[in-house]
Amino acid sequence: MTASTRLRAAVIGCGAIAHEHLSYLGESRRVELVAVCDTSRATASFMRERFAARASYTDASTMLREALPDVVHILTPPETHESLIRMSLNAGAHVICEKPMTGSAAATESLLKEARRLDRLLVESRNLLFNDVSQAIDKLRNEGRLGSMREVDVLLSLDLTAGPFGDLNLNGPGVALPAGAVHDFLPHLAYLFLHFAGIAQVEQVTGCLDNRSGNARVGYDHLDVLIEGGDVRGRLRIASDVAPPAFRLIVRGTERSVETDFYNPFLRIEGGDNVGKRAPLEQIGSGLSLVRAGLRNFRDKVRQHGTYHGMPRMLDAVYRALLNDEASPIGEADILATARLVDRIVAIGEQP
Amino acid sequence: MKVLVTGASGFLGRAVVPAVAAAGHEVIALVRPTAAIDSLAWPNSIAILRGDLRQLGDWSTQLGDVEAVVHLAAASSGDLPTQFSGTVAATEKFLDHLPMRSLRRFVHVSSFSVYDYSAVGFRGTLSEAVPIDPRPEKRDAYTVTKILQERLVSEACEAAGTHLVVIRPGAIIGRGKDWGFGRAMKVGRFDIVFSPRAKFPLTYVANCADAIVKALDAAVPPASVYNIVDDDLPSYGTLHRLGRRFGARGAGPALYVPWFGVSLIGAMVSLLNRWMFNERAKLPEFLDRRRQLVRWKPMFYSNRAAREELRWSPAIPLQVAISETIGELTITRDHTTMTSK
Repeated sequence: MTASTRLRAAVIGCGAIAHEHLSYLGESRRVELVAVCDTSRATASFMRERFAARASYTDASTMLREALPDVVHILTPPETHESLIRMSLNAGAHVICEKPMTGSAAATESLLKEARRLDRLLVESRNLLFNDVSQAIDKLRNEGRLGSMREVDVLLSLDLTAGPFGDLNLNGPGVALPAGAVHDFLPHLAYLFLHFAGIAQVEQVTGCLDNRSGNARVGYDHLDVLIEGGDVRGRLRIASDVAPPAFRLIVRGTERSVETDFYNPFLRIEGGDNVGKRAPLEQIGSGLSLVRAGLRNFRDKVRQHGTYHGMPRMLDAVYRALLNDEASPIGEADILATARLVDRIVAIGEQP
Repeated sequence: MKVLVTGASGFLGRAVVPAVAAAGHEVIALVRPTAAIDSLAWPNSIAILRGDLRQLGDWSTQLGDVEAVVHLAAASSGDLPTQFSGTVAATEKFLDHLPMRSLRRFVHVSSFSVYDYSAVGFRGTLSEAVPIDPRPEKRDAYTVTKILQERLVSEACEAAGTHLVVIRPGAIIGRGKDWGFGRAMKVGRFDIVFSPRAKFPLTYVANCADAIVKALDAAVPPASVYNIVDDDLPSYGTLHRLGRRFGARGAGPALYVPWFGVSLIGAMVSLLNRWMFNERAKLPEFLDRRRQLVRWKPMFYSNRAAREELRWSPAIPLQVAISETIGELTITRDHTTMTSK
């Protein structure tokens, strides 16, 4: 692939998630990494060296003017996304933005309209849909083995007070969004629900969104909501105070149910013929499958094939679509549906 | 001098702050907002400045009359982004707000981790002349960030004409940090001790603090670098035996694995890593060839430059340091009396 058939990419924001994006950008044949940008000179310079970017900047507008990227990855804290997206779109770049793109569906919709007006692509990251287990569940569903979708449950158990979100040595909120730290993870849960439920909007959202740790910086750290939409219902939970850390997804259909975990992946499929007296056969099969998953996970941890392994696949699909002038794998309608569901859930909360 | 100590409530900082004050300096101790310092029994003369270098705050406006700096602040655990933020980006913010041109001395506390251990031969000597590791990303986040931090400080001092002294301590030992008394891992009740005849490059925390105080006003050239290890370095086996003899909690019977065995395992795993994972596998320290060299390769460690140029000598001998680390003794600040607990 020649330089002329590659897209010039730049990254704004060189924090933890940038390592995941840049691992792809530094190696992809579809990409020419022209710039990295961070307000810290040392950070920008380190990332330029580490991922062989052509240049590093500390100012986004200077970078857009001088590096002339075709695609900009916006990986800064969420409250800065909106202005950087507008700046990048107006500079003529397509934009890939980390979730959550904004703090409200209205703001997201406005940005999507702006991108459409400028004939640029604007996508919000949804990397978990490109993980092995998500793709395996997609396959089961597309083959009709799950039957019709009825329930989608997602549980994220992770101590949101640990790490920078709840670090009381730092001032201000850990995440400057209406639902605090929960808001930062919520798009993952929302798009997983909508994707596997196969619906675009929900009718009812009830539950609670609150702070159970007493850590003021983290904002909300607990979520438990029930959702109904069409024939599908589900439960989305984020808990900071339960062990072990897990990111569990259960999809139940009229024929079979499937359970998985994004942190320590496995696939347990129940139902089909193995019910009633044959249910123990399913348990034996699932036990063996769990052993295989354990061995695979051990190997994956050694070779660093972690929770973010869907990220390069997602980015490659977006770049392929851009280069071939095809439809984006992450559609505008999906992004907006996710933002609207997030809005409904955030509305449940009361500021702690 | 008015001396600002960053990382003042950390393991080394807690010893450095009173040592700098005892040397007659005026001390400003920069501690994190949540640091509990009441139990440290520092003299009242020490001014406390609360702040976190990762984020601009009041601390950044209160550095105008600082005359010297002891920079200890760093993140020693977490993944690369976490350590980068706490060590490199934080140091960058700190340097941006220091009155660099008016500073009389900048003492930067680095680490033995920055060295290229493959450049030291078997039973060779690690001195200040050993080069910096050219591929720290192959080791760990701590090495990467400590090298970058040292580079940042050096560049800033050179640009401003600030007199820099770099202190590179070995493994700092003291109450609350015992390095498992040399064990590589625990298996049941047994302690696995790798390379039992190799020297353990330790420095007792109060001895290290003394070296840092000496670096504040020693007549040494700018950009001087000093390795800090104590005189009577024990082997891994001896350190473990001493820990057991003095009753270290959790120290069990030792099973020794000689350097040859450690090295052989490392070489085999290294080959497998190259063959199966294109060298991308993330391995635990005891299997990782490059990190094995740092930790267990038999070599000698020189503190000659610090002794001759800083005129430093470690005042607390090994057995007393081990006793204090375990909690049997409390050493007073002037090192002259020891109280049985």
